[in-house]
Amino acid sequence: MECVVQGIIETQHVEALQILLQGLCGVPKDRVRVHEFCLKSGPNLGVVPSEVRLLCDLAQPTPTWTVRHAGGAMRGAGAEQLSVLVRSVVESKVSNNALRFFYAVGYKLDHELLKIGFAFRFQRVVPITVTVTSANRMPRLHAIDDAVPLTPGIQLVEITAPAAGDNYNEVAAAVSSFCEYLVPLLHLSKPGVSTGIVPTAAAAASSLLSNSGGKAI
Amino acid sequence: MEADGGAAPSQGQLAPPAVEAVAPPKVERLNPVVQQQLNLESVKTRALGLYKTISHILEDFEAFARSNTTPKWQDALGQFSMVSMDLFNIVEDIKNVSKAFVVYPRNVNAENATILPVMLSSKLLPEMEAEDTTKREQLLLGISGLPVHMQIEKLKTRIDMIGAACEAAEKVISDCRKAYGLGSRQGPTLVPTLDKVQAAKIQEQENLLRAAVNFGEGFRIPIDQRQLPTSLPSHLADVLSFGDGAQNLGDNAGAYGKNTSSFSSNQGVLQTAGGQLIGRSVPSPSNAVSFDNASTPPMAYANSPRSGTNIMNTPSPQQQVQQQQQQRQKILQLPHQQQLLVQQQLRQSSAAGVLGQGVMSQLHDLTGQTQQKLQQPMLQQQFQNRQLQTSHMPHNIAQNQINQGSQLRSHINQFSGSANSALFNAAQSSPNSQMITNMSASMQSQSLLPRIQFGLTGGHTQRNHPSQMLNDQMFGMGPSNPANMIAMQQQQQGGFGNISTHTQNLQSGMVNLPNTTQNPNFPQQRQQNQS
Repeated sequence: MECVVQGIIETQHVEALQILLQGLCGVPKDRVRVHEFCLKSGPNLGVVPSEVRLLCDLAQPTPTWTVRHAGGAMRGAGAEQLSVLVRSVVESKVSNNALRFFYAVGYKLDHELLKIGFAFRFQRVVPITVTVTSANRMPRLHAIDDAVPLTPGIQLVEITAPAAGDNYNEVAAAVSSFCEYLVPLLHLSKPGVSTGIVPTAAAAASSLLSNSGGKAI
Repeated sequence: MEADGGAAPSQGQLAPPAVEAVAPPKVERLNPVVQQQLNLESVKTRALGLYKTISHILEDFEAFARSNTTPKWQDALGQFSMVSMDLFNIVEDIKNVSKAFVVYPRNVNAENATILPVMLSSKLLPEMEAEDTTKREQLLLGISGLPVHMQIEKLKTRIDMIGAACEAAEKVISDCRKAYGLGSRQGPTLVPTLDKVQAAKIQEQENLLRAAVNFGEGFRIPIDQRQLPTSLPSHLADVLSFGDGAQNLGDNAGAYGKNTSSFSSNQGVLQTAGGQLIGRSVPSPSNAVSFDNASTPPMAYANSPRSGTNIMNTPSPQQQVQQQQQQRQKILQLPHQQQLLVQQQLRQSSAAGVLGQGVMSQLHDLTGQTQQKLQQPMLQQQFQNRQLQTSHMPHNIAQNQINQGSQLRSHINQFSGSANSALFNAAQSSPNSQMITNMSASMQSQSLLPRIQFGLTGGHTQRNHPSQMLNDQMFGMGPSNPANMIAMQQQQQGGFGNISTHTQNLQSGMVNLPNTTQNPNFPQQRQQNQS
């Protein structure tokens, strides 16, 4: 299981957000360059199509593949009170044969996208991962070099933390409290819930950039 | 009497009692108007209230001082301004009627006996007096010699000018307050709001982005544009092959027939430029993709849609695997056309004469060499099926053995099996579709079928009959050969003895002839014996 929230930020403020996250997390950022394949199961695998995502991490010298399945979100009165989305997730590293395997089993490529950005992975009560990426689409199949951002002016911020069935409340609280620190720059909410941008983000961003103008990490 | 602020409360308190004390004993009464204007009761009440407020504030500050907490300056300043306002009002009211009264000290004792005359005197202190005179001189500097009314005039103009300057300054300050959103002494009250158009744009972009990341909207490529590019990225080059890409896109309904059609259409698209393809286009496995990762060739199932490309897999011996891999890597790095040429050379050097009939001619004729790889194994399989069907040959011949080189070609010419001639005739004359249907009869669930498209040349004279070569090899194998084959086969997928059925014939490609060297270019087939 994992707790996840999403938010958007204007591309012009991404640098300020990076500085803020650097100060909050205390770890250097990781580059993110992931080629994501979204595979949908064919009719031979059941009436209801299921979705599996294959992530190829291109930031490493040798590309590493991960398979990931995100289940449905937790529902109920308790889930509605939480400010984060809790959903079941299965993730595993796989060899580069995974794509062929899924094709052979009967999955079809539904869509693919390229995510480029950075991420911070740190520990604050629970291991938290903050990812800031721009979603790029490819005009032709698998044409990574021609990928263009889908929304040039806006990037996606995603905060996830792994959770278990018995501690998701604490994890949700930890994620929520961390999100409070980011309020000057962006609003975070459950995936699917629209938030808009923060109107005063420009002022906050300029103060962040000016305060740390002399600091080079 | 000068009532300064500090003494006003006490004087205010003194004045009413003083007046009251004065009034009763004397006969004279205050003018009722003055008395009404003075409104002693209200003044008293207000003075007492003011006194209480001030003492309350003082107590609060003492509490702050004791507990070392920071007072809230906003509130403290607000209370102070209230208090000063009350005091000012009281003093103003008394000043209105102060002319009617004279204040004199009531309690004169040793304490204030010395200071009372100073407090009551109207004469300025000497320092204050000196200050006053200097200011007066400054004021009347230039105009003291003029008549009085002129002095008054000039002073008035001066006052007006100063007043105007003050007003301008006030205006500037208020304008700046508004510009910087400071408000009137209340801190920032204005929040920068987005332009509505801009806000709408951002909202729209946000929805687009969220829908795209969470649900995939906006990333889907239309069906007609879903063609594998000629050059895949490096991390996909080893992973994907041509067949995969064509068959596993979401638009495919998954039906076998549809697979066939979609595949063939894609093949037409991917036809190489230099290919002198005759008849229908042949699958081109060399799009820098079809070279599977030699180290981990997948299992080739009989029903697998990928079995066509599996033919490209490396043979079981590890040396061949590595050799092939190296060769393919090199080929991959070449430009496309050169890749085709290299493949052609490889094919020819590997004595491709063992192949089925149509293939040989094509190998020599076609410059688009990409079909070779698929053609060869395909035809071999079909050929084997034919043979086994008709002649019940229990042996399967490996493709790589079939490609053993020109040394074997001579043997082929001797072959004259009936089935082979039938196949040869069929291959020569029949169009591709017939060929395919014939093969489909022999290979029931062979999903290789859609991949196999012959580009047959009509009327060619075959120097070497691949069929002959093939059969010769089969004849050459003694009864002990099956065992040898089994032993030598390193990656056998299923029971070798199940050769009698057509679907299992494809496995024959893995068998190695004992007297031949293995061709590194010809991959083995790995297909399960499944029907």
